[in-house]
Amino acid sequence: MNDNYLWDRTGEPDADVQQLEELLGTLRYQPRPLEIPATINTGRRRTFIPLAIAAAIALLVIGAGLWIRFANSNQRPLEQAIRGPQSVAPQETAPAPKELTANSSTSHEPREISPEGRNVKRSLISLKPHRPIQASVPPLTKEELAQKEQVLIALRLVSAKLNLVQRKSQGLTPVNSIRNHKIG
Amino acid sequence: MSDETTFKGVSMIEAEATAEMLLMTGTFRSPETIDEPIEQTIVRAVLQGEHDRFGRLYEMYAPLVHGVLLARVPRDEVDDLLQDIFLHAMRKLHTLRNPTAFGPWIAMIARNRAMDFHRASRDMVEVEENTAVAKPTNRTAHEVLDFIRQLPEAYRETLVLRFVEGMTGPEIAVRTGLTPASVRVNLHRGMKLLRGKMGVV
Repeated sequence: MNDNYLWDRTGEPDADVQQLEELLGTLRYQPRPLEIPATINTGRRRTFIPLAIAAAIALLVIGAGLWIRFANSNQRPLEQAIRGPQSVAPQETAPAPKELTANSSTSHEPREISPEGRNVKRSLISLKPHRPIQASVPPLTKEELAQKEQVLIALRLVSAKLNLVQRKSQGLTPVNSIRNHKIG
Repeated sequence: MSDETTFKGVSMIEAEATAEMLLMTGTFRSPETIDEPIEQTIVRAVLQGEHDRFGRLYEMYAPLVHGVLLARVPRDEVDDLLQDIFLHAMRKLHTLRNPTAFGPWIAMIARNRAMDFHRASRDMVEVEENTAVAKPTNRTAHEVLDFIRQLPEAYRETLVLRFVEGMTGPEIAVRTGLTPASVRVNLHRGMKLLRGKMGVV
């Protein structure tokens, strides 16, 4: 068998291949015009550009809406932060004595308010008025100590009498109550 | 003095005729068409609305589609399917990514359409395997075609394109997108099987 003739019709012709060519050649495609309908659509979407423009506008509108909403939500705490020091001002106008407040020199100084929300919140926290911490009682004089002692003894006597009345009203013997009660 | 405008002794009419001759013979081509496959030019033109130019693609590739269909579906269905396939291809032309691959693309559409045809009809043409062995000269074209249809798909398509449509191996490779080596193998193995079926050693 001549391979070249079967491949590209070159070289010595092969008898069987030639016979098949002649025989099957009768079934060859007979040209016939293609009937193209007048209304055929090649599928190229001309509406692509308007659609793209519409989509871009829609995205812009959504983006602008989100941005405005974000801006408003950020502005509210900022306004509060700005208003905050004014509302707590009366408390600050009457400063506590230095010895009764802790961190009084630093905590009440308003920090610089930055436009970022996180910093604004921090400044809000720092602007909250702190409760003054009670300091220890100053040392008393001898007279004051003696008066204090008397007040305490009087309070104990009153307390003992009140207990006695209570026991009586409950039906207990006053002896026991006196025995159990410690004075002084 | 004659009415004709002359330039260096040559009339303008003669010059135009010479230019037309040169264009017709292809000596000069516009820069747009140089190195651009014809399929690409036509596909672009059709997509831009010049639907009439699709007829050129039809002329070029109708034998290929005819061969692909003839290897798979009954002969009386081939012509109608051929028209349907080209109209379908025209509608879907915008989905063709590489216009130079129009041939492989439409051949694949034809193969898929042939499969759809068999799924829908479920009446594949079955030819009896033990057909009487005789010399090919005594057979009709339809009988030989039926033998080819019994071969594996790759062989039958290549043989139909070679013997029915008269394409050479390299032409089949270019049109179908197969490698020349594959086409060569398909031709030789298909021919060997066909000889066996037809009783020719």
